[in-house]
Amino acid sequence: MTSRLSYVALRALQVIPAVLAIAVLNFILLHMAPGDAADVIAGLSGHASAEMTAELRRSFGLDQPLIVQFFVYIGRLLTLDLGISLIQSRPVVELIAERMGATLILMLTAIGVAVGIGLLLGILAALRHRSWTDTALSVLALVVYATPQFWLGLMLIVFFSITLDIFPSGGMRTIGAEFGPIHSVLDVARHLVLPAGTLGLFYVALYTRLMRTSMLDIMTLDYITTARAKGMSELRIAFTHAARNALLPIVTLLGVQVGHLLGGSILVETVFGWPGLGRLVLDALLQRDLVLLLGILFISSVVVVLTNLLVDVIYGLLDPRLARK
Amino acid sequence: MTVQVASGVVSLWHRFRRNRAAVLGLAIMALIVLAAAFGPLLYPVDPFDMLGRPSTVPSQRFPLGTDVSGRDILAGLLHGARVSLLIGIAASLAATLVGLVVGALAGYFGGWLDAVLMRTTDFFLTIPSFVLAVLIVAIFQPSVLIITASIAVVSWPSVARLARAEFVSHQGRDYVDACRAMGMSNAEIMLRQILPNALPPVIVIASLMVATAILTESGLSFLGLGDPNIISWGYMIGVGRTVLRTAWWMSAIPGVTILITVLAINLVGEGLNEALNPRMRQR
Amino acid sequence: MMKTVLGVLSVGLAAALGATAAAQTPVRGGSLTYTYHPEPTAMSTVSTTAVPVALVATKIYDSLLEWEGAEMKPVPGLAASWTRSDDGRTWTFKLRDGVKWHDGQPFTSADVKFSVENIAKAYHSRGRAHFGDVEAVETPDKSTVVFRLKAPVPYFIKAFQPTETPMLPVHKFAGVDLASAAAVRQAEVITRAPVGTGPFKLKEWQRGSHIILERNPDYWREGRPYLDQIILRVLPDGAARAIAFEKGEVDLAPQSALPEAELQRLGKLPGVVTSSAGTEALGPNLWLEVNLREPPLSDVRVRRAISMALDRSRIIDVIWYGYGKPGIGPIVSSDPNFFNKALKPYAYDPKKAGELLDEAGYKRGSDGVRFRITQNVLPYGENWTRLGEYVKQELSKLGIAVDTRSADLAGWLKTVYTDYNFHITSTFQHNYSDPTIGIERSYHSANIRPGAAFQNSMGYKNARVDQLFDLSKRELDPAKRKAQFDELQQIIHDEQPVIYLLEMQYVHLFHKRVHGLISNGISMYSNWANVWKEK
Repeated sequence: MTSRLSYVALRALQVIPAVLAIAVLNFILLHMAPGDAADVIAGLSGHASAEMTAELRRSFGLDQPLIVQFFVYIGRLLTLDLGISLIQSRPVVELIAERMGATLILMLTAIGVAVGIGLLLGILAALRHRSWTDTALSVLALVVYATPQFWLGLMLIVFFSITLDIFPSGGMRTIGAEFGPIHSVLDVARHLVLPAGTLGLFYVALYTRLMRTSMLDIMTLDYITTARAKGMSELRIAFTHAARNALLPIVTLLGVQVGHLLGGSILVETVFGWPGLGRLVLDALLQRDLVLLLGILFISSVVVVLTNLLVDVIYGLLDPRLARK
Repeated sequence: MTVQVASGVVSLWHRFRRNRAAVLGLAIMALIVLAAAFGPLLYPVDPFDMLGRPSTVPSQRFPLGTDVSGRDILAGLLHGARVSLLIGIAASLAATLVGLVVGALAGYFGGWLDAVLMRTTDFFLTIPSFVLAVLIVAIFQPSVLIITASIAVVSWPSVARLARAEFVSHQGRDYVDACRAMGMSNAEIMLRQILPNALPPVIVIASLMVATAILTESGLSFLGLGDPNIISWGYMIGVGRTVLRTAWWMSAIPGVTILITVLAINLVGEGLNEALNPRMRQR
Repeated sequence: MMKTVLGVLSVGLAAALGATAAAQTPVRGGSLTYTYHPEPTAMSTVSTTAVPVALVATKIYDSLLEWEGAEMKPVPGLAASWTRSDDGRTWTFKLRDGVKWHDGQPFTSADVKFSVENIAKAYHSRGRAHFGDVEAVETPDKSTVVFRLKAPVPYFIKAFQPTETPMLPVHKFAGVDLASAAAVRQAEVITRAPVGTGPFKLKEWQRGSHIILERNPDYWREGRPYLDQIILRVLPDGAARAIAFEKGEVDLAPQSALPEAELQRLGKLPGVVTSSAGTEALGPNLWLEVNLREPPLSDVRVRRAISMALDRSRIIDVIWYGYGKPGIGPIVSSDPNFFNKALKPYAYDPKKAGELLDEAGYKRGSDGVRFRITQNVLPYGENWTRLGEYVKQELSKLGIAVDTRSADLAGWLKTVYTDYNFHITSTFQHNYSDPTIGIERSYHSANIRPGAAFQNSMGYKNARVDQLFDLSKRELDPAKRKAQFDELQQIIHDEQPVIYLLEMQYVHLFHKRVHGLISNGISMYSNWANVWKEK
């Protein structure tokens, strides 16, 4: 027990340099970009004099030497202050908090449903190995895997929103409508179907393939053969013995994918006008709102690092050998 | 030596051939490569030239119709094939090379070098890959070179991890010790002895990476982060998006093309996987 | 005359106007939903005058005056009356009594003085242009404001438009460091909790999704506004905006909020009105900006050749779907007051363009290329990308090889306006309601200053042009002033320091049930107190 605790503590300690390294890299990368927020504000107002641009730059501290800006940034990070957005003039934390919910709803729904369906299909394909079900599932998974997500989203809009008119084409809720709590949830759900479906299909394909491979690997192992010899049914073996162990690689992948959630959603959020973090990242980038961008990247990397830590711990629980290593 | 290689290729082909889907994928790939190589020569139409009326349906003059600016969609498809394949293959090669070197060094030497290299690799894995690609392209301004580089930057870590695992597993084996006893240098052992054994799984993952790279490029172009001087499939989908309602085929055509290409590459990748990794052949 | 009616769609619009003329009685209540992208970044044009902010802020924050017709005739608003001294150096405004801020505080002359002196003059992007000559602002009593100017400013009154000089509540700036641009920009009433005197106030702002404005029950004008709510739906995808409009979820798509490809189709639907009236005081003018420091573009013959090689009607028809007119010169032809009617667009004549280049000594090389240039493209979306592709294609036929460089807004601004590291780039400029405000920035040599966005990046220098700008800036006689601008337009037209391509047409698309939208030269930036919607 103590060894497991110290293992967790050790992994947790490793998180700190990782997060700091990410902060440094983000800072360097973003400051290599030509133009800054003062340029954008001046440009958007269409009329700024050189003095106005200079004054903006001065009041944002963008005229300071890079190294000074860097220490200001790190200093703020250490006090968990993410700063104030240059373009929107509001605290970054607030801006992120406003968008986090939408992204979480979209992502958790997509991934949650996808993992569920993917695992079942994966097990099914593995049980029916080399049957036409297996082939059909594999081909389908491959096709979905090969489809550009944003394009799939557009096609779903054409079909379900325009032609059939059963789902809204974008947004997260019906604006201005005064719904009770139940209707509000249903309303969001209706808006959620197409974007979550677009994202989810991809993950269904991914997890089906992964689970199938993982199951096939395990079904050849000795202890399964033993179970078979004892006369257990294939179905029972699959669900009780094999599935638990086949889950290991899935959990690892999930950990890695938490980070990709944000990225995957840029395209889908753009297509569906979903008010989440992905759009915020893109807008911040295009407007050179470095403070906001650094804030989002920092938060998302912290989330990824923490999730990976969690995955390691869960892994350790599922497979005690690893923790001891 | 040559005989050995030749017979190796022949037996590889025999194993590969058993997977009919993979052969189909290979055939499609061959067609696409041919189209990319010779299409623009056989169908010499400038994909940026506004030749016809905007948004026309397929006709004799424009076999796949025209886009919003009256440009030939077929010409765009053929020229776009070059760009998509070029970026896909170049990015995957670059990523594979970097990944192999990092993975090999980390796996072979172990110790602090392993720790440093692998922490760096993990670090890249924590940044959402598409976000990182968007960042790099936006910061350095879109061009073919930057787009290729950005895709390579987000792709190499997975190769590095795989390569490391392979090198670690071979490192401790008898034949490597024997080589060392014979006085072979580390470089020789890594390149001549371990690499050929470690290569098959890397080749498989590299082939699949081409598919991902093509998808990533199309996503970037769709967001308007493509090279403005060339036409690519993702760009064509972006162009068609504005008239989705009236001319859905304009984005459907390049979309299906990407789908088929990526599918073919995946099929070939799976076939290679089965042919190269005999352990898994039973599946 | 104020209604620039689109030829194709004139029937529909005439019908709509006819309906209005039939004097339907306005109905109170209902909400108007419009869509625009991107989302506003602030609630006041002090932060930025970018379209999304201007659209929403003008409903909340009024200026001193209101405006009538395409000629922009000033009429009483927050100021009930005003006078100008004969020498043009003293302006006196009498404020309306009993006007309250959204938080219930009274609106007084102290607010006006503060809004002009501390905010607009210091931090509004056109503040220095409007108020640079203001010597003193006096407030003899709570409802009187006197502006004393160093020298006469013929366009002074035009500063009091809602986008230019919004009235802000001085009592909400307690504790704000007025010397810091960042601090002022971060003030709550500017970023997220606006307190104005306008007919609408902010009810809800769900970032990335929508904004709801609600009726101000204490608005000073009796019985106004008609609408209960104005809702903005933020939809990042153009096709999605079009679908929302088509399904009737959205009443209005202002100022070309929809892709042109969709405008054409949706405009033909029954019950839909297409109009490009109501933008006369904006006057968007699109051109290729040329870096005159770079040979061979420094040669006027080369610029004329390029100008002749581009087919303006093709650009309008194919890229802008028929919306717009051929570009002519620095002032757009729809300007009712200042346009020089003697000027004509450069005619499309690639053959003559080629001869002109031969004559200038730029003959085709063995590869057919005369010379190579780079092109930047304004990163404002699809049409601009298409335009860049067309320019590249057309110039290559003329023997000019063009390498297009792509960048996002920040990168583009820095390249063009700070580094001057470009050959040609597409861009556009708003004429606004006065040429001194609208166009001087691009052609006066005093505006060749690195870092000044959308100003004289070409390095254009002509002593006579400078002189004419300096004279017209002080000329109180409208006829003399017009003559000065006419001469100025002629010179610039001949020298083509930029290549005028297109007078853009902003198109508003709305459902017929909405009335009273088109009221003046800045209709979408008016406060919409008189807009109403059929039940």
